[in-house]
Amino acid sequence: MSGAVTASRPTRPTRRWAVLVNVGFIALFVVCAWGVEPNWDRIATAPESIVRYGGLMLGGLFQNPFTEPWSAFWLDALAEMGKSIAMAWIGTLIASALSLPLAFLAASNTAPRWVVIPLRQILNLLRSIPDVLFAIVLFMPLYGLGPLAGALALGIGSIGSLGKLSYEVIEGMPAQPIEAVRSTGARPLQVMRWGVLPQVMPEIVAFWLYRFEINIRAGAILGAIGAGGIGSALKTNFQDRNWDEIGIQLLVVIVLTVAVDSISAAVRHRIIGGGRARELPRAEAAATV
Amino acid sequence: MTTAVGRPPKPRTAWKTWAAIAAVAAITILAGWAIDFSLVPTIRNVDYWLRTMAAFMTPNWEYFPRIVQPLWVTFSISFVSATITTAIAIVLAMLASKVTTRVTWVYRLVKGVLAVTRSLPDVVWAMLFVAIVGQGPFAGTLAMIAFGVGIVAKLTAETIDAVDRGPLESVDAAGGSAFQRARVAVVPAILPNFASYALYNFESTVRASVVLGYVAAGGVGQALSNQSKDGNYNNVATIVLATLVLVIAIDTISWLLRRWLSR
Repeated sequence: MSGAVTASRPTRPTRRWAVLVNVGFIALFVVCAWGVEPNWDRIATAPESIVRYGGLMLGGLFQNPFTEPWSAFWLDALAEMGKSIAMAWIGTLIASALSLPLAFLAASNTAPRWVVIPLRQILNLLRSIPDVLFAIVLFMPLYGLGPLAGALALGIGSIGSLGKLSYEVIEGMPAQPIEAVRSTGARPLQVMRWGVLPQVMPEIVAFWLYRFEINIRAGAILGAIGAGGIGSALKTNFQDRNWDEIGIQLLVVIVLTVAVDSISAAVRHRIIGGGRARELPRAEAAATV
Repeated sequence: MTTAVGRPPKPRTAWKTWAAIAAVAAITILAGWAIDFSLVPTIRNVDYWLRTMAAFMTPNWEYFPRIVQPLWVTFSISFVSATITTAIAIVLAMLASKVTTRVTWVYRLVKGVLAVTRSLPDVVWAMLFVAIVGQGPFAGTLAMIAFGVGIVAKLTAETIDAVDRGPLESVDAAGGSAFQRARVAVVPAILPNFASYALYNFESTVRASVVLGYVAAGGVGQALSNQSKDGNYNNVATIVLATLVLVIAIDTISWLLRRWLSR
């Protein structure tokens, strides 16, 4: 307001870097978009195909499920999905059993530094390797094509992330209860049993369950590379274009996955929040990120 | 006065604990039976396994030039789908949270749809899109978008649910519209988490797109499938190593970015 002030506006801080990053990002996107070969004429006919295939799938769903061949389709779909869930269960169990001791060795409050640092690097490396590669390299040559190789691949593939999440829980526990147990003259094993495990197990078990939910999907994916279960069944049916059977199988996948997810989520809520659901989103976000 | 305080009786384990243990054991036995769990092949096939391992130790680097292009396609699928997923997910997340969408049936519906898209594994989406738009990386890209949106939007919606109500109230008090409320009171609060979910999705998309080639949806999986079917384990080793380098490089870049975002 006062005319004496003649200072000009301060110069805008440079935005050169922001502009450069944005331009680079867009350029990369354009090059990549060209690389995925978008198929525009098929996009034009896509709605038509969706309606046609959707109709064929619904056609399978609305047949009387108690007559041949529909009854066989339903039973088959349930059996294959059961196999996929079994694969996920065994895989998660193996990963849980192996990751728990590793987590104690990778937590800085329960293990010496010279163990913690290399072990964390190994867990990080395990976490980046896709399950598919474990299956192809380690287990299919040994156990052939089938759900056993898939379960073992899920087992080894889940160690990295379960180990990481578990050691974070262990590092976050307060030290006082452990001191209290130690002050009663407990031996190291007893300290573990009464001071450490009660503090960390609820959260760790919740992560196991969460991994089980993830592994159900991962098991179906391994099926597509030949590990059996619903993934293999769907792959065959898509190759033969058996839309009515595909419809039944997709419905079974959706319903059973959502059902197992909600049972598992309910158990997790109960374990962590004692029936209250407040803590969960945070735990889930931590489990994924 | 004698205070004959004996040891208190040990509390009995609740029947619920036993029931839970029995249930876990029963499911485990049933699951083991369903997948024919057996360690016999470990011994029986060990020779074959050792031979394949030996082949893995000697990757065939002359094969490498032939997988550069498929690897680039795998990267392109991941990058394009992760970018588009991020754009769609922020909108759907707004629609799936009761904080930003106050019409009950709308957010319930969107939440339900997201749950369904998440329940189909990405490779199943890939099979569906191969049928709809034909074989190739385009089908793989659409599949990754369909699956990724479900996850990113769900996590973001939960972050929005937990957002601080103060700024929301002040926008309401100032007479802001729903869009303005989202823009001013929600986006700044969730941006760090959202960015981290988006990056996480990019990483997992890279890992997941390895499998797309197995169902003719493009990328390096096609070569992996063919070479392992033919038993060319030296070539498989080359593909596996090259893929791992790509995956770990992207994991590292993404980790650095996330650390930078949360600093």
